[in-house]
Amino acid sequence: MKKQFTKLFRIGLFYGLVLALMSFQEISAQQTVNGTVVDEAGVGIPGANVIVKGTTKGTVTDFDGNFSISASSSDVLMVSFLGYITQSVPVGNKTSINVTLAEDAAQLDEVVVIGYGTAKKSDLTGAVSQVSAKSFEKQPLTRVEDALGGRAAGVTVARQGGAPGAAVKVRIRGVNSINGDNSPLVVIDGIIGGDLSTLNPNDIASMDVLKDASATAIYGSRGSNGVIIVSTKKGRGKAKIDVDYFTTVASVPEYLPTLGAADFARLENARRTRVNGTPIFSDGEIEAFDILGGTNYQRELFQTGISNNAQLSVSGSEGNIDYFLSGNYVDQEGIVKNTGYERYSLRANINAKINEKLKVGLNTFATRATILNDLTTLNRFQGSLIVKALSWDPTTPIFDQNGNYNRFSTQSLASLSANPIEDINTTNVQGINDRLNVNVNISYDITDNLNYTLLAGVSTINNDTETYRLDHPLNDVGFNSAKNTNHQISNILTWQKVFNDKHDVKVTGVYEFSGNESRFNSYGANNLSIPLGFYFAELAAATNINNAFGNSSIESVMGRLEYIFNNNFYVTGTFRADSSSKFRDGNRTGYFPSVSARYSLNNLLDNNTVFTGLSLRAGWGQVGNQNIANYSTYPSVEVTNASRYAFDGATVSAGSAPGSYGNPDLTWETTTQTNVGIDIGLFNGRANLTLDGYVKNTTDLLLDVPVPDTNGGGFIRQNIGEVENKGIDVTLSGSIIQNEDFVWDSSFNLSYSTNEVLDLGGVDDIQGTFDSVDGKSRTWNRIQVGEPLGQFWGATFLGTWKTSEAAEAAELGLMPGDAKYATDEEGNITFGAIGNGTPTTSWGFNNTLTYKNWDLNILFQGVAGFEVLNAVQGILVGNTGNQRSFLATEQLNQWTSTNETNIPAGGENEIGSTRYVEKGDFVRLSNLSLGYTFNDVIEGVNYLKVYASGQNLFLITDYSGYDPEHTSRPANNAGNVDVAAGINVGAYPNPRTFSFGVKIGL
Amino acid sequence: MNKKEILKWLKPTSILIAFAMVFTGCADLEEDPTIDYSLAPGTYSQIAELELGVTGIYGRLRNASQWSTFFVHGWAGDDITTHKVSNKADFREFDQRQVSATNGRIANNWRDIYAMVRAANAVLEGIEGVQFTDADKQDRLIGEIYFLRGAMFFHLTRMHGRIPLPLTSVPDFEIGLATQEEVYQQIESDLLQAEILLPEIYPGVLDGAPRPNSGSARAFLARLYLDWAGFPAKDNSKYALAASSAKQVIDNAATHGFGLVEDLEDLWLLNNRFNDESIWTIAYNADNNLFNRKYGKLGNPSDLGGWQETFAEIRFFEDFPEGPRKEATYRTEHDWENFTDQQTPVFKKIAGPAGDIPLTDFNTDRNDFIMRYAEVLLIYAEASGRSGNVTPAAWEALNKIRRRAEGLPFNTPNPSVDVTSGDIAELAFTERKWEFAGEWLRWNDLVRMERVQDALSNRNPQSSFNSQGQLLPVQNAILGSLGTDNYFAPVPANEVLLNPNLGN
Repeated sequence: MKKQFTKLFRIGLFYGLVLALMSFQEISAQQTVNGTVVDEAGVGIPGANVIVKGTTKGTVTDFDGNFSISASSSDVLMVSFLGYITQSVPVGNKTSINVTLAEDAAQLDEVVVIGYGTAKKSDLTGAVSQVSAKSFEKQPLTRVEDALGGRAAGVTVARQGGAPGAAVKVRIRGVNSINGDNSPLVVIDGIIGGDLSTLNPNDIASMDVLKDASATAIYGSRGSNGVIIVSTKKGRGKAKIDVDYFTTVASVPEYLPTLGAADFARLENARRTRVNGTPIFSDGEIEAFDILGGTNYQRELFQTGISNNAQLSVSGSEGNIDYFLSGNYVDQEGIVKNTGYERYSLRANINAKINEKLKVGLNTFATRATILNDLTTLNRFQGSLIVKALSWDPTTPIFDQNGNYNRFSTQSLASLSANPIEDINTTNVQGINDRLNVNVNISYDITDNLNYTLLAGVSTINNDTETYRLDHPLNDVGFNSAKNTNHQISNILTWQKVFNDKHDVKVTGVYEFSGNESRFNSYGANNLSIPLGFYFAELAAATNINNAFGNSSIESVMGRLEYIFNNNFYVTGTFRADSSSKFRDGNRTGYFPSVSARYSLNNLLDNNTVFTGLSLRAGWGQVGNQNIANYSTYPSVEVTNASRYAFDGATVSAGSAPGSYGNPDLTWETTTQTNVGIDIGLFNGRANLTLDGYVKNTTDLLLDVPVPDTNGGGFIRQNIGEVENKGIDVTLSGSIIQNEDFVWDSSFNLSYSTNEVLDLGGVDDIQGTFDSVDGKSRTWNRIQVGEPLGQFWGATFLGTWKTSEAAEAAELGLMPGDAKYATDEEGNITFGAIGNGTPTTSWGFNNTLTYKNWDLNILFQGVAGFEVLNAVQGILVGNTGNQRSFLATEQLNQWTSTNETNIPAGGENEIGSTRYVEKGDFVRLSNLSLGYTFNDVIEGVNYLKVYASGQNLFLITDYSGYDPEHTSRPANNAGNVDVAAGINVGAYPNPRTFSFGVKIGL
Repeated sequence: MNKKEILKWLKPTSILIAFAMVFTGCADLEEDPTIDYSLAPGTYSQIAELELGVTGIYGRLRNASQWSTFFVHGWAGDDITTHKVSNKADFREFDQRQVSATNGRIANNWRDIYAMVRAANAVLEGIEGVQFTDADKQDRLIGEIYFLRGAMFFHLTRMHGRIPLPLTSVPDFEIGLATQEEVYQQIESDLLQAEILLPEIYPGVLDGAPRPNSGSARAFLARLYLDWAGFPAKDNSKYALAASSAKQVIDNAATHGFGLVEDLEDLWLLNNRFNDESIWTIAYNADNNLFNRKYGKLGNPSDLGGWQETFAEIRFFEDFPEGPRKEATYRTEHDWENFTDQQTPVFKKIAGPAGDIPLTDFNTDRNDFIMRYAEVLLIYAEASGRSGNVTPAAWEALNKIRRRAEGLPFNTPNPSVDVTSGDIAELAFTERKWEFAGEWLRWNDLVRMERVQDALSNRNPQSSFNSQGQLLPVQNAILGSLGTDNYFAPVPANEVLLNPNLGN
C-alpha cells in the first residue's frame, strides 16, 4: 500500500489529486477520516479548509497540515487553500486520506504583496509582476538580481560587469531622473529601503514588482522608480531540511583580438617612419617575435574562476510557532586574477501565534560580504585595469631579467600605465560589507473586521574598505568606514467587511516614520617605510583623515480604500503624504494620490473554451522622488582634502572652500503615470496574457543645472525639466504541454519603452559628466531636449584623407592616411550627438521542461534598440591618450598609399566619434540547467537532485567588445549611470559559467 | 451606538492613541548642516575661519597649477614643443598656433582658476566688516587673498586676453568679458591692495615666499606694468612704472628675502625647492598627495620611459648660447638627435638634473617658482630702456644675470661678459629669452612685443643631424596665423554655450 501510495503521490505532483483518487474504490460507511494536506513538495499545509461537500461540516488543518473529520463513505471532501487548486476527494472506505494540493495553474489566485497588505492576483487593479521562487529555483543563483532578469516584464537588469559582487543595475519601466538615482525601491518583508545584492536568493519566496503609479503610490515619495517587494520564506508543516551545493567554473567567453608582438612591432615601425621617425624594432627583433611571440596581457590578467556556493535551510512548524532558518556561504573567484567575492549569511524567520487574535513575527538577517579588489575602485587614470591589460605592450615581458616586474613598457610603447599584472598582484583592496537586519511584526485582530499591525525594523550596515597597494616606490594604506543605521516604524490599521455579499470593502490606514543615519570615517596613510601590510599603517610618511555625518527622516500618513463589487468590479484608491527632511519647511510635504480600477468580463465568456478569463484595468497616480543628498538645500563651506595646502612642502594645513550653492526652494520630483492593462486567461488558466501600456511624465526634475565655470563651476540643483517614458509590457505564460510524463511551462515577457527629455528648463542641452578617457578632457555624454537620456557626444568620423585630397589635408596639418573628421569652416572638428545608449526593448523567454524525473530550464534574454560607445576599441586602436601605439587587429588593414582603406594610419584618433559607436542589440542564453531528481532512493531522504547548468552560454550580437550589456560606471553611482548608459571604458567581462550542484531534501 | 459598541471601538482607539503617543514626533525633519556638511556660512566669527579660508584658496591654486595645463599657452613659445603624435593635441594646438575653443586644457584651466577666484571672493565676503584682535595677522591674510586673486586674473589674461572679472561669490550668470584695460586695472588694484596689507616678509615661512610678501606684490606689479605697456593695451607710460616697481623690489630685496642663487645648477634641485630666488613659490608635497605633476617623467622622451609632454624646440636649443646656463637648462648629455620616437632636446628644468627625479616619477615634490628674482632684475633693465631712463643700476641688473649665466660670481663686475652700452631694452629682452627658457614665460614676451611672427617663422633646425647625417625636421609645424588676431586663446566653448555674453 505504501508503495502504491508513494507512486500515486508522485504522480500527484504532476496531475493533482483527482487523478490519483481514481484508483480508490468506493465503499459507503460512516467513519472518522484522518489525513494530511501537503503541497507538491510534500510539506504540510496549515490552515487548509476541509469540508464535506454539500454540508457545512468542515475543519481546518493544523500547523502540520493534519486534519480529522467525520464523514461517510459516500461523502466527498472538498480540500481548499488559497493559491491552490481545490480538490474533491471521495471518502470511500478510507480512514486515512492524504491530499496533495497542486498550485493553481491559472495562478489567478496567487497572493500578491501590494505593500501594507496583500491581495489576490485576481483582485489587482494596478500593474504588478510577480516572480516567484518557482520560476528561478532551477537556476543556480548567487545573486537575487539574476532571478529578476528576464522574468518580469518591464524590469530590466543590466550587469555593470562580470566582477563578483559588482553592482547590478535594475530599472523598472525606463529611467525618470537625470541626476537622481533611478533604482527601484526595495521593500523586504515590509521594511523599506532594502538591498537586493545582499540577499540570499534561496531565502526568497516571491518578489512582487509594482510598476505603475497606482501600485507604487502606496510608497509615495519613494515609489517613482517602481517598487520590488521581497517576501522571504516561512516555515510550514513538519520539519524539513534543504541542502543545496554547487560549484561554478567561470571564464571569459571570448578574448578580444589584439595584435601579436610581431605585427605590433611592424605597425609601430610604420607608425614612426610615416612621420619621419626611425624604426624602433630591428628586423631581427621582429623575426624573434614571429617565432617566440610576445606577452598577451589580456590572457595574463584573466583566469578560470572557481566558485562554491553552499546553502542549508531548516524550516517547519511546531504547534503555534513556525520557523525558517537558513545559512548561505558563497566563495567566488573572479575571472580576473586576484579578484573575488565571499559572502556568509544567516536568516531566521520565526512566527508565533500567541492566541486567536495576536500573532508576532521576527525576521533576522545577518550577512558579511567581502569583495576582493573591486576593479571599479582600482581605476586610476584613463580606463580600467582591463583596458590597461588590453592595451599593454606585447613586446615587454611581465618580468625583467632579474625577476622583477617590468613596471612600464621598456620602450614606452602602447599603454603608458604601470604593468597591470603587477598592479593586480600587488593590490589588496577588501570591501567588507556587514549587515544586520531585524524586524518585528505584531498583528492584533481588534475585532473580526479590524486588525492592527505594528511593523518595526532596524538595520545596521557597515561598509569598510581596507586598501593596501603598491604605489611606487612605497606602499599606501587606505581605510574607510561607512556606517549606516536605518529604522522604520509602521502602524497599519486594516478594516475589512463584506456587505450584502456584494460589497467587499477594505480600508487601510498607515502612520509611519523612518530615518537613516550615516557616519563616514576614513584615513589614508601614504608611503609606508617598510612594506609590512595594511595593519602597519603607522609606518606611513604622511596621513590624511576625512569624515562625514548625515541623517535624514521621513514621516508619512497613508490611506487606502479597496472596494470590490460583485466580484467583478474592483477599485483601489490611495493617498499618501510624506514629509522629508531633505526639504525645508514649506516644501517638505508631498501628497501622492492614485486611483485604479479593474473590470472583469468573465461573465461574458460563458462556455468559451479558449478565452476563459478577461479583465480590463486602468490606473492613474502620482509618485515622488526625494532621493537627493542630505543638506542639498544648504550652501556649504567645505573642509576637504582638496583644499589642503602645504606651505612648507611637508606639513599640511587644513583649508576651507565654498562648495555647493544650495537651493532652499527644492522640493519633490513628481512622476505622474497612467496605465491601462488587459488580462486574458486562456484554456482555463493554462495560459495567461497580460498587456499593459503606460505613459509616465516626470516633472520638476531634481536636476543639476550646471553653473558656468566662470562663476565657480559645479551645479545648482533645481526643480526643472521634464522626462517622459512611454511603453508597453507584455507577459504571456502558460503550459505548452501538460501530460503525464511531460510538462513544458513557458513564460515570455517583453517590454518596449521610449524615453524623451521634454524640457531642461529653457536650455536645449546640458553637458554630461562622463569624462573622456583619452586625455583630451572631453565629455562623452549629453542630455538633449527631444532626445532620450544617454546621448553620446562626439565627432563624426569620415574615414581617411586620400592621396587625392593631400592639399586639403595639408591645410589642417594632416596628410593622406590620417583620420578624417567632419570639421567647421575653420577646420576645427565639430561635435554632436552620435548615438544613444538607452535600450528601447528588452525581453525574456523562460522555459521549464519536466520529463519524468528530469527537468530542464532555459532562459533567453534580449535587449535591443541601443548603441554602445566602445571606447575600449578606441583605446586598442590607440595612437591617443595613454595608448600611443596601434594594437587593434583592424590596423593590419590600415591605409597605405597603394591601398587607401578607411582605417587611418595616423592623425588624431577621436575615441568619442562615430568610428566607435556600435549597435548593442543582443540575445543571450542566460541560463540552461538540467536536473535529475531521485525520489526515495535513500531512507530518510525526501529527494535528491543533481543538476548541471551553464550561464551566458552564448551571446548573439554584432557588438565587437566583450559584452554590450555592460555599463562602465559603477551602477550604484547615482545619476551618471543612466545618462551615460552604453559607454564602455573597460567593464569587467561577463563570465561564461558552468555549474554543477546537488540539492537534498530531508 | 450602544455601550457594547462604544466599548468595542474604544479599545482599538485607545491602543491607537497609545501607539501614537509613543511614536509621534520621533521623526526629526530639520537638517543641521553644521554637524558636518559646512562651516558656518556668512561672516567669520574667529580668525581661524579666515585662516582656513585663505589656505583653501591655496588648495584651489595647487589644484589648478599641479598640471602642465596651467601653463598650456607656454607651448606657443619658440622654446617649448611637445610630442608630435601622442595625446598632446591640446598642447600641439598652442605649439602650432591653432587653438580651438573646445581645447580641453583651456577649459580645465579656466574651471580651476575661477574656482579659486570664487573661493577668494567668498573669503573676502566672510571677513567684511570684521576686525579680529590680531590685526597684523588679519591684514596679511587678507593681503594674500588679494594677491592670489590678482595673480590668477593676471595668469588667465596672459592666455586669453579679455576675461570676465567676477568679484563676488554669488554667480552672475550674465557676466561679460571685461576690456583689457579693465582687466589690468583690476589686477593692479588687487596687487596694490595686497602690497599694502602684506608684511615685508611673511613670518614663519621658508625661503622663496611660499606666502607672498609686499615685495612679491610689487614684483608682480612690475611684471604687470611691463605687459600693460606692450600688446594689446600698449600703454607706454607703464614702462616707467615697471622700472620703478622693479627697482623698488631690488632696493628692498634683502628685506623681502629675495636674491639670486649662486649656481644655476642648484636652482632646479629637489632639495633646493625653497630658495630665495623665488619671488613667489607654489609649494607641493607628494607624500600627502599634494603633487606637482609637471616635471620629471613629463619632460622625458619614451626612450627614457617618459611621457613626452614638455620638450625643447630644436632651433631654440641650437641658438642657445653655449655655457653653464645652457647646461643648467638642458640635459645636454643625452644623444637626443638619435632618440627613437621624437628627436628633441630635453629640458633639465623639466626632467630635473641627472639623478634628481626618478625616471618613473611624475608625482613630484618640485615647487613652482612663479616669478624669479632674475626676472625682476631683467624687468628693471628692459623697462628702464623702454622708458628712456637707463641708469648704471639698470646695466648692473642685466649684468648680474649675464655673469651668472657664464658661471661667474654675479656680484663681481667682469668686463668679459658685462655690457654697458647698446639697446639695453633689447639686450634684456634677449637675455630673458635664454634665462627663462622652458619656464613657460617666453610666449608672454613674444605677445607683448608682437614678436610672434619673427620668432615662430624661424623654427627649422639648422645644424642638428641624426647619426645617419639627416638634418632633423621641425616638430609640430605652424598651422595657424601668426598675426596679432591669433595671439589669444578663445574662451572655452562650453562657457560661451552657458553664457553667450562671454562670446563677445
